Amino acid sequence: MSGGRRGAVAGLVPHPRSLRWKIVLLVALACASMALTVGVLVHESVLRRSLNEGGARATASLEKALEEAAAAGEEGPLASPGELPDPLLRQIEHGGEATFYENGPPAPVFWAARREGGKLYAVEVDMTADLLTRQALDRHMWKYSLLTLGVVVPATALASELPARRLRRVARTARRITAGDLDARTGPVRGGDEVAEISAVVDSMADSLQRRIDTEQRFTADVAHELRTPLMGLVTSAELLPEGEVTDLVQGRVRVLRDLVEDLLEISRLDAGAERSRPGPVDLAGLVRDAVRRTGLAARVSGQDAAVVETDPRRLDRIVSNLVVNAHRHGAGPVEVVVAGRTVTVRDHGPGFPPDLLAHGPQRFRTGTAERGRGHGLGLTIASGQAKVIGAALDFANAPDGGAVATLRLPEDGTPADA
Amino acid sequence: MSDSVPASAPTPVTVLLVEDDEVIRRSVAMALERYGYRVLVAADGLTGLELFREGRHDLLLLDVMLPGLDGIGLCRRVRETSTDPILMMSARGDSLDVVSGLEAGADDYVVKPVDTAVLVARIRSLLRRAAFAPPAAGPAGPPEPDGPLVFGDLSLDPAALEVRRGGERIALAPTELRLLLEFVAHPGIVLDRQTLLREVWDYGWDGDTRVVDLCVQRLRKKVGAERVETVRGFGYKWKR
Repeated sequence: MSGGRRGAVAGLVPHPRSLRWKIVLLVALACASMALTVGVLVHESVLRRSLNEGGARATASLEKALEEAAAAGEEGPLASPGELPDPLLRQIEHGGEATFYENGPPAPVFWAARREGGKLYAVEVDMTADLLTRQALDRHMWKYSLLTLGVVVPATALASELPARRLRRVARTARRITAGDLDARTGPVRGGDEVAEISAVVDSMADSLQRRIDTEQRFTADVAHELRTPLMGLVTSAELLPEGEVTDLVQGRVRVLRDLVEDLLEISRLDAGAERSRPGPVDLAGLVRDAVRRTGLAARVSGQDAAVVETDPRRLDRIVSNLVVNAHRHGAGPVEVVVAGRTVTVRDHGPGFPPDLLAHGPQRFRTGTAERGRGHGLGLTIASGQAKVIGAALDFANAPDGGAVATLRLPEDGTPADA
Repeated sequence: MSDSVPASAPTPVTVLLVEDDEVIRRSVAMALERYGYRVLVAADGLTGLELFREGRHDLLLLDVMLPGLDGIGLCRRVRETSTDPILMMSARGDSLDVVSGLEAGADDYVVKPVDTAVLVARIRSLLRRAAFAPPAAGPAGPPEPDGPLVFGDLSLDPAALEVRRGGERIALAPTELRLLLEFVAHPGIVLDRQTLLREVWDYGWDGDTRVVDLCVQRLRKKVGAERVETVRGFGYKWKR
């Protein structure tokens, strides 16, 4: 549910590091650099052409003035060196004839000057109109570049939403599979791009996972049937035996065998991933108290502000009773069970958990004691497995002043497996 | 609890046990006989069906895996014509067995190996449901009026325990009827699964809530799906 809400929000405002932002950024960058390159090139070439034309116009103007002056028998447009800009004078020194562009003030002008017969002739052509044209061109280029960016970037953002959404769908499917919903599939995807490929791969991965789990579950169920059928005959027959010492022995062993078979079947169901949490609202303090009472073992239960949690009551009961039974079998009294908020702590005052268990977690058939005590060392394995099914964390530690401490922390809002 | 099984009654309760494993069949039969039941046995589904048709039983105890006609198929065949109480025994105990058994119309199930005491407790609870005495039969008389309760096209006569839908009588298995009575006794009130398990199935803490869900499904099919509302995360509610 929360994933869906996240997805909907992400559809409007993508995550800062989302692929969509990156695509938009790349496209914007590409557009901007292209606009800039083209802009600079156009600006430069227009400027060059404009200067060429300006020079030609100035020269033509000077020629014309000189010709008209010669025709009229007048003096040409004489100029004193003081009027002319220095670079123009320097050019004239070299070649006797030069043009020069002077960008104001007061106005941009093109000079054409010639030294003829010791006299200096010069005209200037006003370039203001030319400058304004070029400035207008620059403004236009800026304006349309920005306008194009303004259209292209949002369009890219919209267009890139489609692959992003498809990828998010794949991610959602994978998340659901991780959370235990093995029926989750992305479904058929159009197109042959990488997104379609990863969708198909995730789906086929889920298929093969599902097949493997199905096979294992079927095997587990078959093993259960094969083991329980003779066991049922044994249990019922043993109950029919006449009372006596031998009967007690047989019934005792039958009970042990039965517990062992049930524990092993439970572990194999946990291993096969066949177990699903079936959550409901649970009064934690009440459930823990009942679970401890049903073990028939002595334990002091205390609680403070225990929460009502959304969890699978049967699994929680199994975890708590296994922890209490284990504390009695391998630890020593008094056993204390503390419920606080969403946490259940089971503590005994025995030698504590063996270092192996603290380092590697519970291992099957390792009871920690050399003489192997009673039990099969399956209780904690089952407790851990069931804790995982309800999404809780089960940690094992030793108290500083001796004794084993098992801490069960229930998740905040039910289990992720709640589809 | 023991009042429902009259050990010294003139006609003992008869259990029809269909089980293919010989040791289980014989030992369960002997164990039940010790509790005062009469037991008819069949080793396969078809024999079980024949014995069912002879009609000398009060309750069926069916194994799920049977040669020939399996327990689920047998259960379905029985339910076509009968509302006799049915208890299933599953050795696999996985959802498939349990859910298909309950969907086929079983009232309850146990997972093998089961202690005789537990088996007998389940049988007794089921027989209590089947022999549910109409309140009107008691000399004290019911506090509520005798007329049938009417919910739309559904009418329930609490005295005769007769349920009609659109004027036509519908057959409810004992558990379905008991569940319906539980619902109509608390109209508009949400009943959680644990409460229903306790009140209808006599389970303590260890009942499987799927039994409730599947029985509610079956009941809905018969009385109309809209009558029983699911209250997500809590349980079920009967619509007034």
